[in-house]
Amino acid sequence: MRFYGLLAVKSLVLAVIFVILQVAIAPAQTDVVTDTENCLFCHRYPNMGRYDKSGNKRIYYVNEKLFASSVHGKLRCKSCHAGLDEIPHTNVKKVDCSSSCHIKEPSTGKEFSHANMVDKFRASVHGEGGGSKAKRYPEDLPSCKYCHDNPMYRAPRGVWGQSEALINETLARCMGCHTSSQWAERFYSHFTHRMRKRRSQEEIVALCTSCHEDQEKMARHGLESIGTYKDTFHWIQVQYGVKDAPDCISCHIPVGYSAHDIRPRTDRISPINMDNRVKTCSNQGGVQSCHPGATTQFATGRVHAYGMKAQLLARQNQSDFMEDESISLVIERAEKDLSKKELFHYKVLRLVKLFYKILIAFVIGSMLIHQGLDYVASKRQIKSR
Amino acid sequence: MIKKRWFSRSKVDAKSDGHKYFVRLNFNERVQHMIFLICFIVLAITGFMLKLPEDIVQKFGSARDIVFFYRGILHRTAGTIMILVSLYHVFYLLFKKAGRRWLLDMLPKFKDLTDMIGTMLYYLRIKDKHPEYDRFYYKQKLEYGALIAGATLMSLTGLLLWTEEMWPKFLLDIATIVHGMEAILACLAIMVWHMYEVHLRPRKFPIDNLWLTGVIEEEELREEFPLHYKKIMADPELKKVYLVPEHDEGDASLRT
Repeated sequence: MRFYGLLAVKSLVLAVIFVILQVAIAPAQTDVVTDTENCLFCHRYPNMGRYDKSGNKRIYYVNEKLFASSVHGKLRCKSCHAGLDEIPHTNVKKVDCSSSCHIKEPSTGKEFSHANMVDKFRASVHGEGGGSKAKRYPEDLPSCKYCHDNPMYRAPRGVWGQSEALINETLARCMGCHTSSQWAERFYSHFTHRMRKRRSQEEIVALCTSCHEDQEKMARHGLESIGTYKDTFHWIQVQYGVKDAPDCISCHIPVGYSAHDIRPRTDRISPINMDNRVKTCSNQGGVQSCHPGATTQFATGRVHAYGMKAQLLARQNQSDFMEDESISLVIERAEKDLSKKELFHYKVLRLVKLFYKILIAFVIGSMLIHQGLDYVASKRQIKSR
Repeated sequence: MIKKRWFSRSKVDAKSDGHKYFVRLNFNERVQHMIFLICFIVLAITGFMLKLPEDIVQKFGSARDIVFFYRGILHRTAGTIMILVSLYHVFYLLFKKAGRRWLLDMLPKFKDLTDMIGTMLYYLRIKDKHPEYDRFYYKQKLEYGALIAGATLMSLTGLLLWTEEMWPKFLLDIATIVHGMEAILACLAIMVWHMYEVHLRPRKFPIDNLWLTGVIEEEELREEFPLHYKKIMADPELKKVYLVPEHDEGDASLRT
């Protein structure tokens, strides 16, 4: 009995403190975020965080101004973070971008959700696959956030890039009717971000190669490293920061394709499928004119340099590698992916290169010897005089 | 007058000292050499810029796309000029008197093989003297041959890459490798072979002025190309062509 009494008193005291704090904090709340759930009661403190089991510091601080100007600034926390009902949060679920977020999508009047994107993504090469096609190492696959790393916290910028003045002028027009500057800025950013590539070409390549250049990780899935891209003129242009230089998405996600819907090259829909190459190389329907006169012969050639797949297939004694499971997987895929013609091309190119290496070594080597002898002889001749 | 200046360099000015001078390269040939040389350097620099490592490319900073743009323009301009000079050179070889003489003197002969063996023996101290070379000796002929082969390959592959959309990608892949490897070969060959010949070789250091003056001293000619020297001295017609007249104020070497 005594125990329950104490508990009741404790709860009462806690409740009173909580209410007092609520009242005290309420006026201090800014009007930036619609924090009806009062999450910022705790999460507004910059030091808020903890170390997780793996020793990484997790930061739970939310900068309300940044959040307010983000695309998601109008959403309640619980719209995305399900299961926040208990404090401390013990049953929080991972954010699922396909869930509906109780915001009405104005064109349909239905609840908004990224579900269609997520569905596409799941069916794409980056999805986990299902049933017999389930991927063996799902932890290698990118999540939404892997690419959409932090799209919330960005200042309003758009097609007009860095011009603050232009942004202000355009925004001023929006705000004639949409009087809330926050709202106007958020939608302005949202629209204008969609009108251009947010990442520079180098950033795109860095993003894709962060996984695809990892030889080990790729081999687990029977793929080769796309370091082979860096042997192309396309990459040299990207390196030099040439405007409109072709990065990964220029060819793999050209006009009319979605980054969420990348298919393997054997898929008939894929822009790099042989049937679609001319369209992709000439960038039909796009603003940029890449190879407007591309013929089938030109477009169906190899774009990346030949990599590990060709190397493995060209070897005579593949059985030596068969013990290594991942390599045998690569060979298996290579047999499907690389046509006999491509393999022949690879071998010819390798021969040409080898021929030149020998030629250079022989010519320059014998020249050096010759000139060395000549030098000694000339000196000798001068001395003898 | 640019011609005057080129020809009135030290060696020809020193005519009064009693030395005799002989023409090695006439004005036309020196101009060809000069244009080719400038194009070669421009092509090498702008070409190998494509092979620069990433961190060096970054050093161009925000102007690197402009650098890249002018790199491409320069490379193609220099390439075009080089092709034109090469075509002119073919014309020169066939339709000019001096050109035809050059072509005949440059054709490989059996003597070149014996010369080569003789030179090796001389280098190895088995013989006391090197063979008597004619106007061009085997090394120069080889270099000239390499230049023709190289220029042809580079021009062809360069033009292929320039008009890429018209060709199968496989052909372009071969062209890319040939263009790149041939460039490495050409640059190394120029450095090891040609630069040595005109810069590093004892008595030529720091530079042999021949590419500007076009003339060679009697002593040098007799020593380096004895057979050629003897032929000139024995033939009054050849003397007219090669010997710079001692009291001629004009451009002797202009005569072709």
